[in-house]
Amino acid sequence: MNVVLWILEWFGRPEQWTGTSGIPARFLEHVLYSGLALLLSAAIAVPVGLVTGHTGRGGFLAATLANFARALPTIGVLMLVVLVLGIGLAPVMAALVALAVPPILVNTYEGVRGVDPQLRDAAEGMGMRGREVLLRLETPIALPLILVGLRTAAIQVVSTATIAAFVGLGGLGRFIVDGRARQDFPMILGGSLLVVLLALIVIVLFALLRRVLVARGLRRRAAAPI
Amino acid sequence: MITFEDVTKRFPDGTVAVDHLDLEIPTGRTTVLVGPSGCGKTTSLRMINRMVELTSGTVAIDGDDVRTREPAVLRRSIGYVIQQAGLFPHRTVLDNIATVPFLLGWDKRKARERAGELMELVGLEPGQARRYPHQLSGGQQQRVGVARALAADPPVLLMDEPFSAVDPVVRASLQEELIRLQDELQKTIVFVTHDIEEAVKIGDAIAVFRPGGRLAQFDVPERLLAEPVDEFVEGFIGYDRGVRRLSFFPARTLSLRSDVVVDAGTSAEKARSVARDAAEPWLLVVDPDKRPLGWVSAETLEGAAGDRELGSLALVGYGHIFVVATDSLRAALDASVLSPAGRAIGVDTDGTVVGVVSQADLGAAIWSAGDAAVPVGGRD
Amino acid sequence: MTEAPPVDWGWIQRQLDGVIADRLLEHLYLSFPPILLGLLVALPLGIASARWRPVYPPVLSGANMLYAIPSIALFYLLAPYTGLTPWTAIIPLALYTLAILVPNVVDGLNQVPDHVRQAAAAMGFGPLRRLLQVELPAAIPVVAAGLRVASVATISMVSVASVVGLGGLGQLILTEGFQRQFPTPIIAGILLSVLLAFLTDGALVLLQRWLTPWTRGRRAEAGRASRRARASSAPAREEEAVP
Ligand SMILES: Nc1ncnc2c1ncn2[C@@H]1O[C@H](COP(=O)(O)OP(=O)(O)OP(=O)(O)O)[C@@H](O)[C@H]1O
Ligand SMILES: [Mg+2]
Repeated sequence: MNVVLWILEWFGRPEQWTGTSGIPARFLEHVLYSGLALLLSAAIAVPVGLVTGHTGRGGFLAATLANFARALPTIGVLMLVVLVLGIGLAPVMAALVALAVPPILVNTYEGVRGVDPQLRDAAEGMGMRGREVLLRLETPIALPLILVGLRTAAIQVVSTATIAAFVGLGGLGRFIVDGRARQDFPMILGGSLLVVLLALIVIVLFALLRRVLVARGLRRRAAAPI
Repeated sequence: MITFEDVTKRFPDGTVAVDHLDLEIPTGRTTVLVGPSGCGKTTSLRMINRMVELTSGTVAIDGDDVRTREPAVLRRSIGYVIQQAGLFPHRTVLDNIATVPFLLGWDKRKARERAGELMELVGLEPGQARRYPHQLSGGQQQRVGVARALAADPPVLLMDEPFSAVDPVVRASLQEELIRLQDELQKTIVFVTHDIEEAVKIGDAIAVFRPGGRLAQFDVPERLLAEPVDEFVEGFIGYDRGVRRLSFFPARTLSLRSDVVVDAGTSAEKARSVARDAAEPWLLVVDPDKRPLGWVSAETLEGAAGDRELGSLALVGYGHIFVVATDSLRAALDASVLSPAGRAIGVDTDGTVVGVVSQADLGAAIWSAGDAAVPVGGRD
Repeated sequence: MTEAPPVDWGWIQRQLDGVIADRLLEHLYLSFPPILLGLLVALPLGIASARWRPVYPPVLSGANMLYAIPSIALFYLLAPYTGLTPWTAIIPLALYTLAILVPNVVDGLNQVPDHVRQAAAAMGFGPLRRLLQVELPAAIPVVAAGLRVASVATISMVSVASVVGLGGLGQLILTEGFQRQFPTPIIAGILLSVLLAFLTDGALVLLQRWLTPWTRGRRAEAGRASRRARASSAPAREEEAVP
């Protein structure tokens, strides 16, 4: 039971590296599913979080919604949408979006709410209108937290996008599902390792994004280790 | 001129923060609103830029009712400074100052250039332009706050306890700076504080509010200290108001004695006769440039050998001095109380001694100042 | 499928005491042990991380890495060793809670202001007594906030355990629903799972109020404390994610 040798053996198989069921192709599929799900979730959750945080209204509704989405069993959402819409990308996206919206929404909302009321007062006192306060003050200050929400969502999405294989799609989940079917342990392990690798890439990517996007005045302490 | 006409503010919870306020705030001067906590100073201030909407009455700037103007546009023409400066943490010092010019759609370069000028005006180093607010001290942040309010050159400046979060030494220097700025810029400043000392120092006019949001007295500081209208105002401005009031009487009205000032080269013998003629227990010894060296008592002189020069005797430290041309009676009184001889030394602006004044003579001068209802001007 | 109504109430009525109850019970058995186990592991890890700063980064990174492993993969990988026992689900799910609970325990322990800590030391509290009587009680609201998030996440994730045949509401969804192309059990499974999550969440809120009577009069403040732990102050604290 030498796990390392197993995995090395699996990664070493030449057929892994070419063709539509090879590692590069599956990895790319996985990245595409995850990226699309994250984009969709951000497109929903960031604006809603910004607006509810800014107005202070609908915050309870947003939090309840986020909690509900968090409580939804992924498998259930996936299967239900498959039954209704059939096999395809839609069920996978529905399940992943339900998963990714809560952390983005909650962090965005809290980020905007957390802006010092004195700053908001100063901004309004200088003649900023609501939209200007949101875009020039609240969003940049909430950005570090929004990025934390996006990163948490991204890691969950990358890990859960494996379910695409359950409904006949590709992605890294194929190695896990097929490995299970063939009782090919190294294949399950290899597939999982690739998912973890992608999650690590996500973490590094967000660290870079933070560096580029977040104003230096908000980065007093060094970024947290991971 | 900013006019409050029968202005009342009642908050939705029923609190009446400002009650039938009538006030005329003069253009180009500093008007201070003071009063105990919760008496409606902030509320009154914020009704000017419509951060608070009044319930009834009218607030007008140069005759234009503020309610006829869109709040955002109105506010861009009014500088606003708050307690913790309220600087944007994600913007550099320069961009913080340029906030309103940016809002007004100025060209970026022009806005930053203007911000740079303002940094100089409020006494910030050009090297601090690229810093972020958290890299500045509290006093520096407050300077940035003032510069930001001045950026678009608004005629009116609203300041809500701008200096109350910094330590007393820094506060004093910020106050000096504001007085200097105001001499240069002549803005219409409305300044809220609960510190009567600060109000007297920077205000051209002071409005004292009483609890319940009513105006108790509106006057120039001199008259406020001389003639508080009632016990509330008297209590609020404090029991040492009499001493504080001396700040408004110039020391140059004092008659100083120069006959008790003697040169260090004088012999003890000669000095003894000077003291006897003047009937004074203390003589002030000065050097050839007429700068004070110290006090010598008549008693010491009696015991000294007749041919000794005063400069070789043990002199008592001369203590505090005041500048006759620019200081007030309060500074002279201070100097006399702190002097080991009980006498204040008046000097010229170049530091040469003009003469001395005893506490008894000061007392007479203060006595007659008390009769003058409105002092003749000058402050320390 | 199209002509049938979306929810077959008759089936639900017939199965309320049957397969629905069985699966719900299984779901309970599969979700509470991992939450408790996770808390039992997170407490010492969090206490150690709060006490010895250098311990924290590797612990947190480790927990986050575990969190990134797909649950399905973990179930499959454990199955040969633990077989069809609940442990196949309990171990991975407990590991997942660590990524949420450990940071909350650390933040909770850090809630105690330094002057209170020093006052306690000055009164002669030893480190252990201080931990038990000062720091841990102060940490309860924040830990409870983390526990709520972890519970909701775990209860919804238990459904995945059904793909290795461990039962639970996921089984209702997969076997009764999906394999028979019958939506009613799927909807029932989803709603019951959500309901269970909400009830657990509510129970934890009550438990926290009972444990921390001093926060009762100041609900706003307690809310602020847990909110701070979950989210804000975060420009500087990147790890404070809300999963
Ligand atoms: N938004 C509000 N809603 C209800 N009451 C308010 C509101 N803002 C202020 N008040 C009340 O109005 C009164 C005046 O408040 P204001 O802030 O103007 O006082 P202030 O003189 O500035 O006091 P301080 O020196 O403490 O700043 C107070 O009793 C205050 O509690
Ligand atoms: Mg106030």
